Amino acid sequence: MSLNILLVEDDAVFAQAMAEELRGFDHGVTVAPDGRDALAAIDSQAFDAVILDRMLPKIDGISVLERLRSANITMPVIMLSALGRSVEKVEGLEAGADDYVVKPIAAVELNARLLALMRGRGWTGSAGDTIHAGDIVVSPTKFRAWRDGIALDLGKLEFKLLAEFVANADAVLTRAMLVERVWGYDFAPTTNIVDVYVRHLRVKLTAAGGDDPIRTVRGVGYMLRG
Amino acid sequence: MTRLRSLRALTLAFLIAFLIATLGTGFAIYTATQRTIERLVDRRILVVSDVAAGISGDRSPEELVRRINAATRERDTGDIGFLLLDATGRRLGGNIALPRRLPMGFSTVALKDQIAGLSAGRALVRDVGHGMTLVTIAETEPFDDYNAARVRIYLIGFGSILLVVIGGLLFFVITIGRRIGETRRTVDAIIDGDMSRRVPVDRSGGEFAHQAMAFNRMLDRISELMVGISNVSNDIAHDLRTPLARLRSQLALALRRAQTDGQRDDLETAIAMSDELLEMFAAMLRIAEIEGGDRRAAFATLDLAGLAEEIATMMQPVVADGDRTLTLKPSPVAEIVGDRQLLGQMLVNLIENALRHTPPGTRIEIGVATTGTTATLTVTDTGPGIPEDQRKLALRRFGRLDASRHDEGHGLGLPLIQAIVRLHRGTIALEDAAPGLRVVMALPKG
Repeated sequence: MSLNILLVEDDAVFAQAMAEELRGFDHGVTVAPDGRDALAAIDSQAFDAVILDRMLPKIDGISVLERLRSANITMPVIMLSALGRSVEKVEGLEAGADDYVVKPIAAVELNARLLALMRGRGWTGSAGDTIHAGDIVVSPTKFRAWRDGIALDLGKLEFKLLAEFVANADAVLTRAMLVERVWGYDFAPTTNIVDVYVRHLRVKLTAAGGDDPIRTVRGVGYMLRG
Repeated sequence: MTRLRSLRALTLAFLIAFLIATLGTGFAIYTATQRTIERLVDRRILVVSDVAAGISGDRSPEELVRRINAATRERDTGDIGFLLLDATGRRLGGNIALPRRLPMGFSTVALKDQIAGLSAGRALVRDVGHGMTLVTIAETEPFDDYNAARVRIYLIGFGSILLVVIGGLLFFVITIGRRIGETRRTVDAIIDGDMSRRVPVDRSGGEFAHQAMAFNRMLDRISELMVGISNVSNDIAHDLRTPLARLRSQLALALRRAQTDGQRDDLETAIAMSDELLEMFAAMLRIAEIEGGDRRAAFATLDLAGLAEEIATMMQPVVADGDRTLTLKPSPVAEIVGDRQLLGQMLVNLIENALRHTPPGTRIEIGVATTGTTATLTVTDTGPGIPEDQRKLALRRFGRLDASRHDEGHGLGLPLIQAIVRLHRGTIALEDAAPGLRVVMALPKG
C-alpha cells in the first residue's frame, strides 16, 4: 500500500531521516515543520494519513488535531511524542488521535501502524460478524476459531492473538502493537512473551496439517497471510 | 524512668504531680492550723489552771475545790473542764469525769475519752500540792462540727482548683491534639501524593497559626522544588529523547544503505544499544510517573488473587520456555483498591526478574494471602537469592548487584516494583527463601 503522508515534525534531522525511511516503504511524504504549516498543507492537498508530533512551534500538536477533528477531517492521525506518560497518551487519544507512539520510533514500526490503521478503517464488519483470512475463520462473539473447518482449541490469549492477526491479515503487526492490543498493556514486557505465544499459536494452527500461515518479519514482528 | 513522649503520658504525669502537690498543701494547712489551735488552747488552759490553782500553789483541798467550782461558774471559763484528784486518784471535785488517767503535762484528748460535750481537746495535768493533781481540759474545736466544715472547705476549695486544672488540661490536650491531628492529616495526604494539601490556619493568630503558616510555607517551597524536578525530568525526557530519536533514525537509515553484512551487523548492534538506552529512559519516566501519584485517580476494586492467576497463566508458556516452572498457590479472594495495569506490570516484572536471575530448573511460586486489613503477595524462587547486605542496594535505582554489570537489565526493575507498591500504600520486603529469594508485598485492603 502506498500512502500520501504528512509528517509534522519540528526536528529537521529526525524529520528528514524518517521521511527518507518512509519513502523507502513506497509512501509519499511531505514534511511540515510546525502546526501552522501542517494546517496549511492539509488545506491545500489531500493526505491519507498524518504523523503529528505533539510538541510543535506556533500551534502545538494537540491543537492541530482538535482543529482537524472539529472541522470533520477524519483522516488517520498517529501522534508522536517524546513524552510517554499515560495521562498524555489519554489526552492525545481523547483529542482524536488514532494511535499514540513514543519517540523515538523505528520507521518499520511506524509503517506497520500506519498500514494497520488504513486496514482497520477499511474493515466495516460489526461485532457479530465472523472474520476470516484464508482458511482461518474467527468468531469474536463466540470466542471460537476454525482452520479449514476444524475447530481450534485455543487459550484466551491465543484466541485474541489469532483474532488480531486475522483482522489485520497481510499487514505486519509489531511486537509492541501486539502487546498493546492483545495483552492490553501500556508497558513492554522485557521477555519474549509475544514470540512464545506466536510459537504456541503456530503449533495449534498446523496441528491438523496445512502450512504455517504466520510469517515472521525479521526485526519487526509477524504477519498472517490472507 | 520512662520518657514522657506522648501528650497523654505528659498530661497524666502533670495531673499526678498536681494531685500530690494539692494533697500535700491540704495536709500542711491542716497540720498547721491544728498545731496553732493546740498551742492557743494549751496557753489558755495553762492560764486558767494557774488561776484556779493559784500561782503560789500549796492550797488546801477544800479551798481548791471551792476555787474550781467558782471557775466553772464563771462565764469566760465556763467551757473549761476541771477535775481535782487526790493522791490515790479519787475525785475530789470538778465538773468532769475521766475514764482513764492522763499523763502529767499536756496531752490530747478525743471522743474516745468519753468526756461529755467534747470530741477533741487538750488536757493539762499538774501537781497542785498535797499529792493532788488538777486536770484542766479545753476543746480544740473553735465551733461545732469544725472538722466537717474543714473537710467542706478543702473539698470546695481544692476541688474547684482541681476541676479548673483538669478542665484546662483537657482543653489543652484536645486543642493541641487537634492541631497535631490537622498537621498529621496534611502530612499523610502529602505523603500519598496530594501536594495541594495545607494545614488549616487559625484566623485568630497565635502560636498555632504561626506554626501552621510556617509549615505551609515549607510545603509551598517543597511543591515548587517538586515542580522544578518534574520539569527537569520532562525536559530530560524531551531533550535527550529527541537527539536519541535522531541518532536512532540516522542509524536505521545507515543500515538501509549498508553495503556489506559486516556493516549491517555493526549498525544493528548500534541500534540495539540505542534501544537499550531508550528503554532505560522509559523505565525512569515510568517510575517518575508512578511516584507522581496521578494514577491513584483511576484506582478501582480488584481481586489480587484473580490478577495473580491471570498473570501466572499468561506467563506460564514464557516460564516453561525458559526451562523453569511457575506455580500458583491456592489463594483466597483478596480484594484491594488499585491500578490493575500497574499491579499486572509488577507481577510480570517480578516473574521476569526471577527468570533473569535464576538458573534453569528454578521453581517460581506465587501466593496471595490475606490478614485483617492487608493482602500479601509473595513471589518466591529457588534461585541463588540476594545476600542480606545487598538487599537494600537491590531496591535502589541502578543498584545492580554484579559489579561487572554484564548482567542483563538496567537495574530499574525492583525500584519500579517498589514505586508501584508505594503507590498502593504498601510495603515491600526481600527475604531469604533458603535457598532463593522471596519478595513479599503487603498491600492494604480497601
